[in-house]
Amino acid sequence: MPATDTAVRIADMDKYYGGFHALKNINLDIRKGEKIVVCGPSGSGKSTLIRCINKLEDYHAGSINVLGTELDDNLDHIDEIRRETGMVFQHFNLFPHMTILENCTLAPILVRKQKREEAEAVAMEFLNKVRIPEQADKFPGQLSGGQQQRVAIARALCMKPEIMLFDEPTSALDPEMISEVLDVMVSLAEEGMTMVCVTHEMGFARQVADRVIFMADGEIVEQGTPEQFFDNPQNERTKTFLSQVLGH
Amino acid sequence: MAKTYHRPTLLDHIRARYFATRLDTAMSVLFGALTLWLLWSLLDWAVLDAVFRAEDREHCGHDAGACWSVIDARWRLILFGLYPFDEQWRSAIACAAIVLVTALSCVPWFWNARRLPVLWLAGFAVFYVLMAGGFFGLKEIPPQSWGGLSLTIFVFAAVAIIGMPLSIVFALLRRSELPWIARTMGLVIDTIRSLPLLSIMFTFAIVLPFVLPGWLIGDKLYRVIVGYALFFACYQAEIIRGGMQALPAGQEEAAKALGMNYWHRIGYIVLPQAFRNALPPTINQFVITFKETSLVVIIGFFDVMASGNAAFGTAEWSFAHIEVYSFVALIFFVFVFALSRYGAYLERRLAVASR
Repeated sequence: MPATDTAVRIADMDKYYGGFHALKNINLDIRKGEKIVVCGPSGSGKSTLIRCINKLEDYHAGSINVLGTELDDNLDHIDEIRRETGMVFQHFNLFPHMTILENCTLAPILVRKQKREEAEAVAMEFLNKVRIPEQADKFPGQLSGGQQQRVAIARALCMKPEIMLFDEPTSALDPEMISEVLDVMVSLAEEGMTMVCVTHEMGFARQVADRVIFMADGEIVEQGTPEQFFDNPQNERTKTFLSQVLGH
Repeated sequence: MAKTYHRPTLLDHIRARYFATRLDTAMSVLFGALTLWLLWSLLDWAVLDAVFRAEDREHCGHDAGACWSVIDARWRLILFGLYPFDEQWRSAIACAAIVLVTALSCVPWFWNARRLPVLWLAGFAVFYVLMAGGFFGLKEIPPQSWGGLSLTIFVFAAVAIIGMPLSIVFALLRRSELPWIARTMGLVIDTIRSLPLLSIMFTFAIVLPFVLPGWLIGDKLYRVIVGYALFFACYQAEIIRGGMQALPAGQEEAAKALGMNYWHRIGYIVLPQAFRNALPPTINQFVITFKETSLVVIIGFFDVMASGNAAFGTAEWSFAHIEVYSFVALIFFVFVFALSRYGAYLERRLAVASR
């Protein structure tokens, strides 16, 4: 049983895609309130890792414990964990047939059994927070990429999750929209949310992260505070990666 | 010479589209003349030279026009088939009830898991009480005597109402995560789709009574409807599955990440979008199904096509088959055209909602 201030505990975890060993012996403890940035070259398994935390991907050996609930094949456990973990995707994945407000209220009404008025009030509060309350009655297709991603963050927050997972939230955005999304993430971090972010935004990592994790070939190669990580990397592969993303 | 912009007039438009080159001009004149000639001939035959009233039957054939007298004289046979003459008002009201229910269920207000079933149960109850009788002092009339347009509409509506939910179940089973369920469903769908509709109707009408226990047999008409609904469901299931497969995987993942369970994901995220993707082929399937109801003739039912045949089946009217077929074609056209217009309306409505 992990200590009560542990949000996620991953122990000796392995994942395979057929014969391909995608994640190798992952050990990772995340404290409540901790902000983690996961980076690494493409194909290194970083997205797969955070998708395992809410079981969008299955894992094959070891264990994952989220907020004291063991992530196994028990559907109740999976539901319990998904309720308490919000996720933001690279391609936003808003529901295109529903308005922004409906996107934000659907899960609270269905899953949290909130009353519609209550769910709408909460949704408007979070839409205010991500600074697009005026778009509430539009459809996702009418919004820019940056706006859609901010709605996606608001939608996840409406479930009042304990942990937020970000899977490359700015990778599909036009350059001028990246900062509006990062601003929202920074303010969320400042409020003490537990965050696990897969991202290539090294500026964000330096500003917000408590710990940076570097992955390559399905392994955690190096981890440390942003200062250690950026100013004094130990592993050769980390140095190569940093010279590639920071080099120009 | 430099062009100056001015708003194109209708004349500019016509010149640019139809008379741009010498070949264009020749084609436009030729096909324009041909079209006018055809329209004029049709008008001449159907209206100007036509005979309309049953009493004027002796004028038919003298000039080349249509003899609509046959419709005037026999329309009740065409519309109501073998249904007893004095009771045909019941068939008319029953038919209108189903058409009304169909029209009402096209109104978005009724798109609700509670309203739609209530509406259809009420519609079918009215239809059944009126058609079959035996209640409220209405004379009892067995399904063997039902016929004409109300039979066609009843078969179509019943097939759609049974087949539609069934097709959703089939489509969901077809993409089950358990391979043996998915494969078995795939095999069932492929088997039924590879059989001709006729053979399925025959099987359900004639073979099934030997196999089923007595209490399950029911009337031949109901068995045919069930068989037809099964056939419809197999085609429609593949259409819905296509609509589901067009959805990005991220949609279901987002719903899962929000903690929504399977039924919520299917009901609120997957199916609404799958139906939208599958709308054009779905409307197409409905049109085909409506027209193929005529196959029930084979099992001995008098749908509107068969009662049309009967309408000119006497010596008195045997020359008037073109007029009768035109009339029946017009009936089919009205329904199919309404259906496809409704499909176009839905597409527009859904397109607005996703933009």
